[in-house]
Amino acid sequence: MKVQQLVPRIEEVELEDILARLRASSANALSPFASEILEFCANFSRALFHDTEAKRLPELQALAFWMRKAELERLRQEFDRLKTDHTWPVPRGLVFHVPPANVDTVFVYSWLVSVMVGNRNILRISPRAALQTTVICRVFDECLETAGEAMQQNTVMIRYAHEKEITAAISAAADVRVIWGGDHSVNDIRSVPIPPHCKELTFPDRYAMSVVRASKYLALDEKMRRDLSAQFYNDTFWFDQMACSSPRLLIWCGDPEDCSAASAMFLRELHAEVNRRGYELDASGSMNKFTFLCRSILDQPVISAERVDNQLTVAQLENIAKLDRNHCGGGFLFQYYAQLLEDLADHVARRDQTLTYFGFDLPEMMSFARLLNGRGIDRIVPIGKALTFQRYWDGYDLLAEMIRHVRID
Amino acid sequence: MNFDDLLQLPQYSLPHAEKERILLDELNRLDEHHRAHCPEYERLVSVLRPGFRRAQALSELPYLAVGLFKSHRLSSIPRDKVFKTLTSSGTTGQQVSQIFLDVETAKRQSAALSRIMTHTLGPNRLPMILIESRALIQDRSRFNARAAGVLGMMTFGRDHFYALDERMDLDEEGLFAFLEKFGSRPFFLFGFTFMVWQYLFQRIAERGLDLSQGVLVHGGGWKKMEEMAVSNSEFKSRFREKTGLERIYNFYGLVEQVGSIYVEGEDAYLYAPNFADVIVRDPITWEPAPMGSPGILQVLSVLPLSYPGHSILTEDMGIIHGVDDSPSGRLGKYFSVSGRIPKAELRGCSDVHATQVSG
Repeated sequence: MKVQQLVPRIEEVELEDILARLRASSANALSPFASEILEFCANFSRALFHDTEAKRLPELQALAFWMRKAELERLRQEFDRLKTDHTWPVPRGLVFHVPPANVDTVFVYSWLVSVMVGNRNILRISPRAALQTTVICRVFDECLETAGEAMQQNTVMIRYAHEKEITAAISAAADVRVIWGGDHSVNDIRSVPIPPHCKELTFPDRYAMSVVRASKYLALDEKMRRDLSAQFYNDTFWFDQMACSSPRLLIWCGDPEDCSAASAMFLRELHAEVNRRGYELDASGSMNKFTFLCRSILDQPVISAERVDNQLTVAQLENIAKLDRNHCGGGFLFQYYAQLLEDLADHVARRDQTLTYFGFDLPEMMSFARLLNGRGIDRIVPIGKALTFQRYWDGYDLLAEMIRHVRID
Repeated sequence: MNFDDLLQLPQYSLPHAEKERILLDELNRLDEHHRAHCPEYERLVSVLRPGFRRAQALSELPYLAVGLFKSHRLSSIPRDKVFKTLTSSGTTGQQVSQIFLDVETAKRQSAALSRIMTHTLGPNRLPMILIESRALIQDRSRFNARAAGVLGMMTFGRDHFYALDERMDLDEEGLFAFLEKFGSRPFFLFGFTFMVWQYLFQRIAERGLDLSQGVLVHGGGWKKMEEMAVSNSEFKSRFREKTGLERIYNFYGLVEQVGSIYVEGEDAYLYAPNFADVIVRDPITWEPAPMGSPGILQVLSVLPLSYPGHSILTEDMGIIHGVDDSPSGRLGKYFSVSGRIPKAELRGCSDVHATQVSG
């Protein structure tokens, strides 16, 4: 079966040859956090910082920042803490990554955690992938040219649409399969068998929300309010609000008067921020948003709706008991006023992944997580960190998921 | 002036200001009617336009996103008054629009269509070629917009000839026989744009057929024509060059507003009939766009009594080129449609196709 290879270099290759090569390289596999890996990733990060094309893409700069040497060093220390006197962590083998088509950097994060602990990797790149992906692959290839042999044989990225035979052939050789994307893609790929020992990590459709204590917001000075809007903007508008962790529901906690005063002030600030950043939505996005608003009014307990302007639409909910968690993206917020943080617990669903917050402290959020007791929510992070990729994602400890522990007595 | 007067007046004969005044009255009344009889519509207007009572200008009327007819049952009549349900002709798996008609609305639609078509075709029924297969009409279980459109148009012709078989193959012999019999006097051709192009024109382009006495009315199928990159003017000039067919009229219409179709004049601009109008909205501000600027088309029609479809925001882009000053002599706004809103893919983790609500 011929496939289009993007990494290690762009060429048409036989899938069988790729898989044979990946199998053969297991003999001289890299050990977790081998200096060769750290060096390559640090180089890759540096190249992304300096590449003229990558420089212009903020997502790639965020990626480069996440991969910089100091950060990798920190990750290594965390990894070392997984070792015990009687266990030794080893790579799982070949990891097959199926990233989403539209969040252009997820595949690198997925790959990075896997390669760090010494796994070999094969990634499926969608033909729908955007410019960001092309740039990443090019820079990756350039970095590989000066890398050692083990690194050169470690990673293959291929581009194909949805051919089941290709997915099946790779799956049959995999030790771990990582599926990102919507429920539909996850179900689709899941129907393709994997070897009995192979483990699978799935990242289906998720939902994110944001909670702010109104009184704390009202106590902020102008500069702090502006900073918070900037952070909220980054969380929400990057990836057109279509990343799993982009907040879509904004909850104010406190007395109703505080909530409505804080909301009015916040939306004014956010609107100004959206204008400062020059976020633009095209006609199709606008139409989509208007249709979604109309549908929400008919299907959800929306009490009022405000088109602050084309970039930002806010629909106020009377309750969130039955919120269906559909979304259109592109700058649409549901808003809800709650008396107490605890009041939300009953309405959190399994699909809820990220909760960003402001005006609460760590112990409060810890006890909220305890209160939820697994009902939903995998990450609780300050506003501004919604999209920051972490070792802990969707409830997995990725670092731990990518290794096997050998027990020695 | 009421609906009947609007019908009886010669079409395209009302100066815009007068038309706006008449339509405003009718549409305000219709708006109240739908708010009183369709709870979903009332809810939408009360949330989107709190305090709204009456529009002072056509552009102030509330409008529904056309996609809602795909996701919701919007009707202003009790279920036992539904005389006919129209569905859009979506491909498999796509959601389709559902439009509920009562007898009265269906009557208004055909009366309106008749007035528009007589304006273009003249008062007499002409021998008619349908660029369709007979099977489309016979299978009543799939009574979609295309079938409804064809049935509606058939009443303006006689001696109907279906030019295609079920496999969309042209019945050449039948076509030759039809032309032999009727081709030297005016006859009527009707079909959907891409079908006319692909299944008729492509097949006969080099056959030296004489269609010079024909009047072709065609519409719909924008997406496929865009894919084939055939513009309206190329469509016309190729037909003229290869078959001598001169009288070609494109039309624009939605299944959500059957009967209110916008037919081209001799100048290739689209014109609103007396009982309908268009507004082009700037997709950034949603205000009416300045003349000559592209935007999203909103269509207004006084026909729909049984469902709240009197003011609809479409998913099509258009441009208004002028008002009351067309050299063709027709009054009112004249405009062109440039096709569907170009779809930019939003980014994100999920299956974006599934979440795009516009379908």
